[in-house]
Amino acid sequence: MGVEWGRIIELWPEIQTAFFQTLTMIGISLAVALIVGLPLGILLFITDRGLFLENRPVNAVIGFIVNIVRSIPFIILLVALIPLTKLITGTTIGPIAASVSLSVAAIPFFARIVENSLREIDKGVIEAAIAVGATPWMIIKDVLLPEAKASIIQGVTLTIISLVAYSAMAGVVGGGGIGDLAIRFGYYRYDNTIMIVTVVILIVLVQLIQQAGDYTAKAIDKR
Amino acid sequence: MIQIEKLTKTYTTKHGTVTGVDNVSLEIGKGEIFGIVGYSGAGKSSLIRCINLLERPTSGSVTVDGNDLTKLNSEKLRKARLKIGMIFQHFYLISQKTVYDNIAFALRAAGTPSKNLKGRVEELLEMVGLSDKRDVYPAQLSGGQKQRVGIARALANNPAVLLCDEATSALDPNTTLSILRLLKDINLKLNITIVLITHEMNVVKEICDRMAVMQGGRVIEEGQVYDIFADPQKELTKEFISSVVSFNVPEHLLSEFTGTVVKVLFKGGVAGEGVISDMLQNYPVKGNFLHGAIEYIQERPLGVFIMELKGTSSDVMDALKYMESRSAIVEVIPNGR
Repeated sequence: MGVEWGRIIELWPEIQTAFFQTLTMIGISLAVALIVGLPLGILLFITDRGLFLENRPVNAVIGFIVNIVRSIPFIILLVALIPLTKLITGTTIGPIAASVSLSVAAIPFFARIVENSLREIDKGVIEAAIAVGATPWMIIKDVLLPEAKASIIQGVTLTIISLVAYSAMAGVVGGGGIGDLAIRFGYYRYDNTIMIVTVVILIVLVQLIQQAGDYTAKAIDKR
Repeated sequence: MIQIEKLTKTYTTKHGTVTGVDNVSLEIGKGEIFGIVGYSGAGKSSLIRCINLLERPTSGSVTVDGNDLTKLNSEKLRKARLKIGMIFQHFYLISQKTVYDNIAFALRAAGTPSKNLKGRVEELLEMVGLSDKRDVYPAQLSGGQKQRVGIARALANNPAVLLCDEATSALDPNTTLSILRLLKDINLKLNITIVLITHEMNVVKEICDRMAVMQGGRVIEEGQVYDIFADPQKELTKEFISSVVSFNVPEHLLSEFTGTVVKVLFKGGVAGEGVISDMLQNYPVKGNFLHGAIEYIQERPLGVFIMELKGTSSDVMDALKYMESRSAIVEVIPNGR
């Protein structure tokens, strides 16, 4: 037991590579989650009962798909999506390939978060916008998004941290990253030094993300 | 300006169907300030929300400025709403946008070109007296100031109608008064039709021309505010009126009087006092004032006196008839003797 400093120096290049692999995976899947999940979350909200683009069938279908993806354990999703990964990236190993599964998992996760954030908006503010004669697009752009902005940013923070956790499993399909390093060296080879170092890196990473998220959410909120 | 015809609104809940508005027909003229009073649950809020179709009536029609709103498609309805402003009890401003952007939002909804936004927003802020608050966020404003922003937003596209949904209910009495004055000013200046719902009778007394009283989804009494204050027909109306003007002597005091207790009411007349002194001089009765007040409703005086008359019953009857002949409304109050 105990930390061997020599071991850290020895494996430092590996740790660095793994760190950037983690960042790559999180970066790509977060971007996809934001681009696809945000509109999906908005759609889930505005097509719901009593809202300005109420559409029960659309709402039910999207809700159903989101629930299905969310109910599949990530480790199974990783394996199940190997053909899709191959189709999109041309390979099934490495951080880019792992980003496909991570994205698929993050989209519905973030969509639900966005939907919940939008639900926190006082319905009266939306009604006031309808009464003013605003178009649906204006309501989304000038009421929903600004009013839910702080809450959505908290949701982004939550999504990133979940991605950090999920990315550790990407090692199963050769995705790489910090979590993978921890499992390969720390778990399989009983290398406590690497185990501790990687866990510390992950703890620091999550703390920083959380603090940055809290700070941003607070700074932009005008309430 | 607004015709509401046989409007009914029902809600389906877990416990069955609830009728919010029950077969209401109202006609509100151009430039009028029309007040709808009732306790919560009376259906007034549902009714006002049906006027701009925030709630779609179950049956009946709403015609605003010649347009039957219930027959419009969503895009035409949106365009029609540009000409129907609305303000709310809880203001409902966009908290993450400045005062300027909240008002500009309404203008953009009407497709106002960007270059015209600034001038118009400043004009509106000037009108509601908030020019210095242009760049602050709603959280930094007081309730009255928020409502002024709400009014500016509602008026942005020069609407023909302004709907006020309990617009002063969240404000203190002084602020309420200043908002009511602003609404009255706007009504006079722009000849805009105002429909307001409230549970506060003083709001109606202060600015409304006509009023309706709602109970259980129905309009139970409707007419000129002055006439209704002078001569309310329904119990509920009397109850509302007594909340702002007390025309009554406490019950337990009434039984102590030995004479005939009468309520004498003079419409539009401070001159009423002359009638009473003439009566006392011409008839062998003694009068004793128990209560007297001149209320100003819509700036027209309404004189109310409660007095005890002593004399033979025939003399008292003659005296009452005399006052009636001088166009006073006389009502004998039973005092339990």
